[in-house]
Amino acid sequence: MKRRYIIRRAGRSLKQAKARTLLTSLAIAVGAFTLTIAIAAGEGSRQYADKLIGSNVNPKALFIVKDKTIFEGGQNQSGLQEYDPDSTTIQGGQATIKQLTQKDIEKLESRDDIEDVRPRYQLSIEYLSVEDSDKKFTADVSQYDSTIRNETSTGSLPELGVSIDDDELVMPESFAGTLVKSKVIQKKADIVGKKITLTVTKPTRQPTEEEIRKALLSGGGVDAIRALTETESKQVSLTVRALTKESSTSLSFTSAIQISPAKAQDLFDYTTEGTDQYRKYIAVTALAVEGNDPVDVKEALKKDGYPSQTAEDLQNLLFTIVNILQGIVAGFGVLALIASVFGIINTQYISVLERTQQIGLMKALGAHNKDVAKLFRYEAAWIGFLGGVIGSMIALVSGVALNPWITEQLDLGEGNHLLVFEPLPIVSLIVGLMIIAVVAGYFPSRKAAKLDPIEALRTE
Amino acid sequence: MIEVRGVTKTYGKKNNVFTALSDVNFSIPDGASVAIVGKSGSGKSTLMHAMSGLDRPQTGEVIIDGQDILKLKSKEVDRFRSRKMSFIFQSFFVEANETCYNNVGMVCEIAGVPANEHRRKIEKALEAVELLDKKKSRARDLSGGQKQRLAIARAIVNNPTTLFADEPTGNLDSSTGEIIENLLFRYNKEKGVTLIIVTHDDDLASRCDINIQIRDGRIVSINEKKPKKESALKKKKVAKK
Ligand SMILES: Nc1ncnc2c1ncn2[C@@H]1O[C@H](COP(=O)(O)OP(=O)(O)OP(=O)(O)O)[C@@H](O)[C@H]1O
Ligand SMILES: [Mg+2]
Repeated sequence: MKRRYIIRRAGRSLKQAKARTLLTSLAIAVGAFTLTIAIAAGEGSRQYADKLIGSNVNPKALFIVKDKTIFEGGQNQSGLQEYDPDSTTIQGGQATIKQLTQKDIEKLESRDDIEDVRPRYQLSIEYLSVEDSDKKFTADVSQYDSTIRNETSTGSLPELGVSIDDDELVMPESFAGTLVKSKVIQKKADIVGKKITLTVTKPTRQPTEEEIRKALLSGGGVDAIRALTETESKQVSLTVRALTKESSTSLSFTSAIQISPAKAQDLFDYTTEGTDQYRKYIAVTALAVEGNDPVDVKEALKKDGYPSQTAEDLQNLLFTIVNILQGIVAGFGVLALIASVFGIINTQYISVLERTQQIGLMKALGAHNKDVAKLFRYEAAWIGFLGGVIGSMIALVSGVALNPWITEQLDLGEGNHLLVFEPLPIVSLIVGLMIIAVVAGYFPSRKAAKLDPIEALRTE
Repeated sequence: MIEVRGVTKTYGKKNNVFTALSDVNFSIPDGASVAIVGKSGSGKSTLMHAMSGLDRPQTGEVIIDGQDILKLKSKEVDRFRSRKMSFIFQSFFVEANETCYNNVGMVCEIAGVPANEHRRKIEKALEAVELLDKKKSRARDLSGGQKQRLAIARAIVNNPTTLFADEPTGNLDSSTGEIIENLLFRYNKEKGVTLIIVTHDDDLASRCDINIQIRDGRIVSINEKKPKKESALKKKKVAKK
């Protein structure tokens, strides 16, 4: 019997048992729906992450450290460890982390596979104030990263790869909002072009006996000694160049004031001078020199004792999360499918029993056992096809309908969708479901094929 | 020419063997009409199934056109059945949910009739049984007589050489039964198809060229009622009692 006749016949049999066919395929549709959503969400988040990183991070950028535990989520390193003068204790004594020293920086700078080596300064300021106002504010300060793109609401930023000037700063729009509330300025945009003064302090340190003696001898008395222990501070005035906008595709959005790397170094050196933090850095950033694959550079750096992460690693990190989430959703889909497999087996068995006569007749008229088996397998395939189409179409329609809402809820930013439906995965899903259905229909179809035509024709 | 030689069919296992057919021998010339008669349970249907290769007797040969169909592989028997034989059953066995057209079409599909001939053949067969106007109706909506006519259309669509009918009028009233009988005999005469009818009905049996009487799985007598062609029936061996 020709395949096409069997397929048509199978289609007709299913049409005649509409309710049963529909119910059986609905079980598959549930699985298909969940899987389609999982695939679409995976695709969507991957595209989103891609966009996020591709538009914000220089693909040549490398984030270099001395201590690879930083990449391992700041693992708690307790226990007995060999003393290293370059180590420092951070996070309230929770972890000891090896830092990069000036020597490391020089070593990295002398390499010819990376350029633009810049330490990441850990800055803290005492307070800041805006010109023509005596209100003081505290804020985080970080260095301007020219490898990452920022969006601005007021003012403009230099092109990617170029830093802001040493006498400029960039602040988040929300800070301007706070200043408006505090009545320092009238409206947010007013802050651009204004001068902001940052005050940094040197850590207090114990004066030496020599210094105390000198102070006493100079005749200054107690005041002279107090002056010794008084904190020394320094002020820098910077002009606000732009306000950065909090954007969902702006990966780098930091709620900190950004200043030029040179200025940052200047302040960092000032605040750490005389402490064990002086000229020591947890991390540096660098760019792979044109013509060098960042991945290769990463390997070379690792060999020399500098663990690093590339832009791609960052991407993979995001993808890992996406994959896990996708796996969970897909898991539910697979469970639904397993349930539906039993549904197919059950309905097909009943169908074989109900149609014993038809099977006997076909065989009496000369149909091969194989043809009869195929008839039931194609019916199963039809059910799989129907379930796949119903499930994925419902997913598609509801996904497209819900996308704007999801985008709004998750704050993904205009034009970004969590659920991205691609034709190929949907088609392969449907084909896969048909195969699963055929496999599920195997046992019932074998029963049909083995049926004795005489027995079958005896039943009335 | 159909030759049945030494066919024995038993059911059951060692302790409980039941012999449904025991050393059955006869031959049927091409184009004859044959009635297999006997009491209920005597083995008529079993014999018919053995002759058509639906069933496999333990011993014996069924030679059709010089070929022992019991020696063929099941696939080849299937092909043999789809090309040369057809069946009509007491309880019609039409596919209730399919249209008349598709009921008849199934034979074409199974026998591998070229697709462009389906329509012509099916319509011709339906016309022969006067069901062409019901082409698109579903078989479940037909009356009993119409169902059996549909079964006949299905049986003749692929021009078989042998037509088996197991009590074709058993479920019909006498006048409807006669219409069916007439159809079968007309087809037998016009096309020279060998017609093998299993029946209880003596009137129907008397219309056949040959009557094979069977009792308890043995042939009791073979009567040639109207020897049209001389010695059309060659008796090989008659097992008595
Ligand atoms: N599968 C089987 N197992 C055991 N015995 C069987 C089987 N099939 C048929 N028989 C027996 O074989 C004998 C012949 O059966 P068959 O169906 O050929 O009778 P029949 O002559 O066609 O009767 P009827 O006129 O009632 O249709 C019966 O006694 C029946 O019980
Ligand atoms: Mg019978």
